[in-house]
Amino acid sequence: MALFWKHRDFVIFAILLGVALAFPFMGIPRFILAAVLIMYCYATVVSQWNLVFGLAGIFSLAQVAIFAFGAYSTALLGRYLEMNLWYSFPIAGLGGILFSFLIGLACLRLRGIYVALLTLAVSQMMFVLIQTDAACSALNKAINPMSCVSFTGGSQGLGDFGSFGWRAVLGGRNWMTGDYYTMLGLLVIGLIVTYLITQSRMGLAFRALRDNEELARSRGISQYKYQLLVFGASAFLTAAAGGFYAAHFGAVGINLFGFPLLLFLISMLVVGGIGRLWGPLLGAALLMSADEVFKEFSDWRNVGLGIVVLLFMIFLPDGLAGGIDKLHKLAVRVFTRARTA
Amino acid sequence: MSNEETQPLLACRNVFKYFGGLAAVNDFDLDVFPGDVIGIGGPNGAGKTTFLDVISGISPATSGDIALNGTPIATKKPDAICHLGISRTFQLNAGFESMSIEENTLVGAAFGLGDKGWFPRMTYNREMRERVERALVLCNLQDKADMVVRDLPVLDRKLLMLAGALATEPKLLLIDEPVGGLNPHEVDDVMEIVQGLIKEGVTIILIEHVMRFLLQLSKRVVILHHGEKIYEGDSEGLLNDRKVVEVYLGEGTADRLQHMMKNRAQNG
Repeated sequence: MALFWKHRDFVIFAILLGVALAFPFMGIPRFILAAVLIMYCYATVVSQWNLVFGLAGIFSLAQVAIFAFGAYSTALLGRYLEMNLWYSFPIAGLGGILFSFLIGLACLRLRGIYVALLTLAVSQMMFVLIQTDAACSALNKAINPMSCVSFTGGSQGLGDFGSFGWRAVLGGRNWMTGDYYTMLGLLVIGLIVTYLITQSRMGLAFRALRDNEELARSRGISQYKYQLLVFGASAFLTAAAGGFYAAHFGAVGINLFGFPLLLFLISMLVVGGIGRLWGPLLGAALLMSADEVFKEFSDWRNVGLGIVVLLFMIFLPDGLAGGIDKLHKLAVRVFTRARTA
Repeated sequence: MSNEETQPLLACRNVFKYFGGLAAVNDFDLDVFPGDVIGIGGPNGAGKTTFLDVISGISPATSGDIALNGTPIATKKPDAICHLGISRTFQLNAGFESMSIEENTLVGAAFGLGDKGWFPRMTYNREMRERVERALVLCNLQDKADMVVRDLPVLDRKLLMLAGALATEPKLLLIDEPVGGLNPHEVDDVMEIVQGLIKEGVTIILIEHVMRFLLQLSKRVVILHHGEKIYEGDSEGLLNDRKVVEVYLGEGTADRLQHMMKNRAQNG
């Protein structure tokens, strides 16, 4: 048992990966497969957010804006340059790194809640910029002379930019399986990257700056360098997940920059456990399930989510992952006491 | 010590630090030579910690020159100053709370000697592990390496700060109140460890209110008052200096310390 606990991350990883790989062949209804792959997408974003928020302790809310940036980049590249989405979504990832660097630079001298305010302002600003973009774009006239669509699609959103092309390979019934494995690949890379960074020298610097910035700097860690590194490192997969999201749905809209999605994703982080390896996955799984339940009560959906988050903050501030750790410690104590008695 | 031939390790000239209109450090000069142990004393608010903040770059000097081995460092950032060879401890029990003693020390060992380039390095090399090992042994923490900082008693936290600083292999070690808040027995423990460092040849500037600690360890004592140096010299002279007795020690303490020094001279 103790041996299992020591290597639990690898064991859990292997089991989950096996289940996830077999999942599409278990006769699961399509709508569940669709929900699960979106869950993977959110879990990927949240796992990268966890690097900034949990590991480096920077209260950035920019992750959702980076996600939306990736989605829009993929959509724009596909629509206007007719780029194959398999190329445009890694390019969106690289663009996301640059975008995130800029936000990281802007936040360098800010601390705590002020970082949250600035990064929230960035995503709200992008929301408004796209929403108010209403002028008919000449580029779209070229695509369809009868239509009036603005460059970013404005409040209507943007479509017609292609897909991963699984439909041609796997047929109309099974194309979603292709999307499923694509997203699973991103999530697996995301989890491995977070694990490696957490264990690495870079991760030590992030944690040192989080725990005590003044001491960390006096021990030779450049706050400037590592803040930019964490913003850059966490952006690629976030923006790539955004690109995937666009490709999967075949459309993007300004709701990607909106407050509800931000709230939904940060709830996953809180519920799963901030700074924990498995937190994002646990949080995404739990909240996606809860969301399916609350969907029935339409107007009460956000209230329901709010109550779930509230309960976690009061009773399990370290999230599900923290709760499991606590249970394990308790079990060990009870077990050793029983043995010595 | 002040041999004309040797270049000072640390040279401070006309250093000022203003907070608004208040000169916390006022026209301060100091030369520190390799192997020196300089004790800084003075009443609360005299500018002792501010002076360490200025040297270590935490709170840069308003004006004046500071050079380490001839390299100007007055406007450099704390991490760059650490890379050049100055490491410090803090008055409050600073530590990386969520990490173990070993990880805390590893931070100094991994980043303290330089961290060039933008490509993030993932692993630690053997020299880093050895630096951690050495620092922990010097500070008598080797048996507690896996303990997490937030669970540590005060003495261990003070020692851990020393270990973290030593892991950067500093040319100059700045120690801010290493025994504040400790009981007399613990003070002796820390004194023994610092004596060990002095024997190793570490150059030290140390701040302390516990005068028996300061006088017994320092080769040279500096007393600050309102940001100005009012005394620099050996401990004997300090206890006979009228101004120091007036503004800082008081007659009673000066007498007691004189007895202590005399006993120590006879015994040792």
